Amino acid sequence: MSAPLRETPSQTAGPFLHIGMMPDGAAMRPLHRAAPADGVLLGGGLFDAEGAPVADALIEMMQEGGVWARCATDGAGAWSLRAARPGARPFVDLWIVARGINLGLHTRLYFPDADRSADNAMARIPVERRETLVASKGADGAYRLDIRLGGPHETVFFDA
Amino acid sequence: MTPRDRSRHPPALTPGYFSSVHRAPREALVPLDPEEADLSGPVFGTADIGSLDHDLIRNAARPGEMAIGPRILVHGRVLDEAGRGVPGALLEIWQANAGGRYRHARDGYLAPLDPNFAGCGRVLTDGEGAYRFDTVMPGAYPFPNGPNAWRPAHVHFSVFGWAFPQRLVTQMYFEGDPMIRHCPIVATLPDAGAVEALTARYDPANDRPMDARAWRFDIVLRGRRATPVEP
Repeated sequence: MSAPLRETPSQTAGPFLHIGMMPDGAAMRPLHRAAPADGVLLGGGLFDAEGAPVADALIEMMQEGGVWARCATDGAGAWSLRAARPGARPFVDLWIVARGINLGLHTRLYFPDADRSADNAMARIPVERRETLVASKGADGAYRLDIRLGGPHETVFFDA
Repeated sequence: MTPRDRSRHPPALTPGYFSSVHRAPREALVPLDPEEADLSGPVFGTADIGSLDHDLIRNAARPGEMAIGPRILVHGRVLDEAGRGVPGALLEIWQANAGGRYRHARDGYLAPLDPNFAGCGRVLTDGEGAYRFDTVMPGAYPFPNGPNAWRPAHVHFSVFGWAFPQRLVTQMYFEGDPMIRHCPIVATLPDAGAVEALTARYDPANDRPMDARAWRFDIVLRGRRATPVEP
């Protein structure tokens, strides 16, 4: 039996990731998945360790039931995605790549109104850091979560 | 899913690549049991792919025209860690044009845009995990990282396997390029073996004679955890 292969190493997506992953349609249609009917809006800001907005990132979301979406952050570091309403799992998975990120970062957004008491991942996070993953719910029904790549309130990232 | 061998990848903080300094988490990652992690992923199919998505020479060209630059094809297989082909993997690529300029609002490099080149492409792997793109050799270009930093010629890859934890973004370099060993982003890689794994080989057996040179680049994604077998 041949030796197992090693995973291909990662490299940063760089500042121009939009060309390949958010094409404008001139050469290639953007990848598209219909937003779930009766879905909810997720969004927030993405900030670096100094609190500066990260304006050149791509965020992908994976949710139970095969719901997937992606967005680029805007000039203010804001991101926005459409998800399905929370089901059995109290979270969605998020994956972030950008210039300066050498290997995609995996985090989660937990719904504040879902039951997290049986969640194994949450149980492994030091109590004082758990809140970095829990969104707030606005009066408009949208969920908001700021993601911080570093600094005093650094978001929890996972090794899955 | 097999656990990710993080020693294969660049660390988050690589001060020689300036952009990582404020974007590298400092806290330890929280482990998720791979058995617990959701293994589902988005499923893509031929309906997601346009007929010229694999052909960067023509997919943004005016009728009857083509992109300028040395004509190449990039091909290979997407494999899992056990060496099995991954069928139906979606690959997205992007690159600079032959002069080293990206078609992007934030790229202000002196080299001109090519009106017939957008620099993006997409393919699905076939039943054996094989893929192919037609494109032009990208140019090297300078970037702000100290007094004089250049990127070697490279193609960016984004790969979707069958599970979201396989998701990978990387860059492919070209065998023999003297710029590789000077690049601060290449230098984030942990060792020479990792650089080697990202270096496409010139593959004359697959050239299209009197048309294009071939470069071979295989990609390995994380695989399923092996079932223990009696010796």
